Amino acid sequence: MGESEKSTLRLRLGARTPFLTVVTQFVETTASLFGLARPEALKLSLATEEIFLYLCNAVCPGKELDITCLDGLYDTRVIFRFPARELNLRGLNVASALKLGEGNVSDPAEEGLGDLDQMGLMIASRSVDHLHLTAEKGDGVQLVVSKEKAYPRIAGVFASPEAPQRVNIEVPDSERVKRFALLTGHLCTGRDLPPFFETPGKVADMVSGGEYQCLTAMDQDRDVVGGVLFSERSERIVQFFGPYCFHSGEKTATGEALLDALLAAIARRKALGLLSLSGLPAFLEPRFERLGSLFQRRLDRQPIERPLFFRCLHEDPGGEVWSPEGLKAWLTGEYDRLVLARQIRHIQDMGERRSGPSLFAAEISRHRAEATLRPLWPGADWAANLAGHVRYLREEGLINLLFEVDLGVPWHAELVPVLMDRGFKPTLILPFAGRADIVVFQHHDATES
Amino acid sequence: MTQPNLDGLVPAYVREFEPYIPSKPDPELMRLYGCKRLFRLNNNENPLGPPPGAQEVIRRFPPPQGALYPSGDSYYLREAIGDLHGVDPDQILVGNGANEVIAFVIKAFCEQGDNIVTADKTFAVYEWVAVFSGIEARIIPLKDEGFDDAAMLAAIDDRTKILFVCNPNNPTGSYWTRERLKAFLDAVGGRRIVVVDEAYFEFVEKDDYPNGLALLGDYPNLVVFRTFSKMYGLAALRIGYLVGSPEVVDMIRRTCVVYSVNRVAQDAALAALRDDTGHIQRTRDLVRRSRAFLVGELTKMGLPVIAGEGNYLVVKIPISDTLAYRKLMREGVMIRPMTGFRYPNHIRITLAQQEAMEAFAAALKKILA
Repeated sequence: MGESEKSTLRLRLGARTPFLTVVTQFVETTASLFGLARPEALKLSLATEEIFLYLCNAVCPGKELDITCLDGLYDTRVIFRFPARELNLRGLNVASALKLGEGNVSDPAEEGLGDLDQMGLMIASRSVDHLHLTAEKGDGVQLVVSKEKAYPRIAGVFASPEAPQRVNIEVPDSERVKRFALLTGHLCTGRDLPPFFETPGKVADMVSGGEYQCLTAMDQDRDVVGGVLFSERSERIVQFFGPYCFHSGEKTATGEALLDALLAAIARRKALGLLSLSGLPAFLEPRFERLGSLFQRRLDRQPIERPLFFRCLHEDPGGEVWSPEGLKAWLTGEYDRLVLARQIRHIQDMGERRSGPSLFAAEISRHRAEATLRPLWPGADWAANLAGHVRYLREEGLINLLFEVDLGVPWHAELVPVLMDRGFKPTLILPFAGRADIVVFQHHDATES
Repeated sequence: MTQPNLDGLVPAYVREFEPYIPSKPDPELMRLYGCKRLFRLNNNENPLGPPPGAQEVIRRFPPPQGALYPSGDSYYLREAIGDLHGVDPDQILVGNGANEVIAFVIKAFCEQGDNIVTADKTFAVYEWVAVFSGIEARIIPLKDEGFDDAAMLAAIDDRTKILFVCNPNNPTGSYWTRERLKAFLDAVGGRRIVVVDEAYFEFVEKDDYPNGLALLGDYPNLVVFRTFSKMYGLAALRIGYLVGSPEVVDMIRRTCVVYSVNRVAQDAALAALRDDTGHIQRTRDLVRRSRAFLVGELTKMGLPVIAGEGNYLVVKIPISDTLAYRKLMREGVMIRPMTGFRYPNHIRITLAQQEAMEAFAAALKKILA
């Protein structure tokens, strides 16, 4: 049995409620086998139960379903593949749970719920860490939910290693990945660090699972003095974190060596771009293109500017993007500034029929008090759905709201007027980050300048 | 309709390989970047085009002959190449560009578990063909911008089948002298195949630069690549060849796809070899002048230049090379960004006619200002 086969278990069955226990037992047992602790395995099983029942009753009753459990090492993913011509997964919207905890479901019409069947989906969405939905060829739909393992935070006081006489860049073993994550988490606190650096075991599993790669800078004694972590954000974009150099003294040589090694490692892949969403050391900024900045608001404090950096890995192949009239001038200006060759195709609402409820994914970054929304499914209700999300996320204390629109997906572009009417402003472009480029909209209150 | 189970059908080394996506055709790029003219300085093409005789062959190709298959093994062309180099035509295999003969060699000698050895910053196709064939590519860093012979030898193990040396190297223009190449072949000792890619052979004027073909008698494990794409200006027709010992070529021939080289390419290549108008000298003169001009301009701009042999040079720039590509495209100049060659922040420029060199120099000054 190959490594990939070992980490994947698959169940194929009809979407019929008598099979429910088979499905829940399958997911619970597999999640435990893959290393989830019992509370997490039960939550994943609960989400599976609600989704399976909904598919049986409302989406594809009796049709063939494919349920795959995938071991990501740091998480377990359950992938549902099913046929659906139209889809009502409104309950999976995080904002659909708005009144659930407050006992106001008795008045579902107020929140536009309209259907108590959706309650199971609300429970499901609250039980998992991530949720993703994609339409496949034909009428196929793939819904992925995942639950992460719980990892210990490692406390302690760590001193910076001495300035190295020389550094060598290596692909580290698992112990050195942990050492890199541990020292980054404790010694690079001035940087905009993602939370996983607080749990080195998780970083080691992220790398061992193959989703992330790591390069470390080793000094003459083979001690870790820096590193960089990277992964494929999409087929065409590699996202990286770092380079982090935690030795004392001048860091330029170490940082440049890490960046050169990273570029060499990905130079002959088909990825077109390298993206940093978490900042760069100042000495590396000239080697990148500045996409723009997000302004991260903080309660009772001045906002922090978060510059985002990018570089193409190959020649820009050009391409076309969809845009409504109201975004065109901004896009033209940004593409000119970034020197990206794009043909802007006009898209317009001509009153055509839209049906069903929309679905947005919400990625929550509590350390930044930030939520990033991404459209998963189109619908006639997206203005109301967006308003519901803004209200709900604000109430959750998430004062930084972002919305990503893939300009390669025409129906995404149709959302732009809705976003702009609701206080979202186009802020920056992430080239090649979706089917085409992604525009990040940031929410601004009417009271903000 | 049931979709094929590609996970089960496709070998992992193919699934995981990242396909190369060529750039769009020039008219598309010109439209996208809004430029009215375009100097192509990205592919090391010969701005003089093919020799006059080859141009005449292309011009006069009788259209009805398009219905006929070409010679399956480039019979007349192999005879002419054999005459030129003093080797038996059976020691020669002609392919649809040198890329195809790279694939012939790897298919002939390598199976899963084997490896090849080459450099990190060199022509990418050796590495690509190996990797998508399920063969490990051992990538040795250049040393002083040249192939590191000692490190390549150290990388050899029982499963090493082929060592690829690009001489002169694309993109650095460095080369091994005759003595260094012989020492390397002696050290390999006939236990592996050594491929010396001489795609830019005709551009090199240095006395100590070796002719790999002259070493075939002493080293039967040596295979030499040549191409008609560079000096002979026939890149559009895709034609190149390899030469090796009769025994080695007999093995490679088993993996060689016959009829892959079209009739126009064979006839034009034949005419190019017979050129008596001084095409090679004219091209060398142009490249020499262009190199001197461009090195001077770039040096004045304070930019480090890597200018060796071949009709190209590499310059290090203070901004991202891929951003420079886009900015230069707007100015109507297409260069090769070098991140894909593992040379980030470097660009490669084809040495071409003076007008193009001046346009490039002016555009570079403008974008770096």
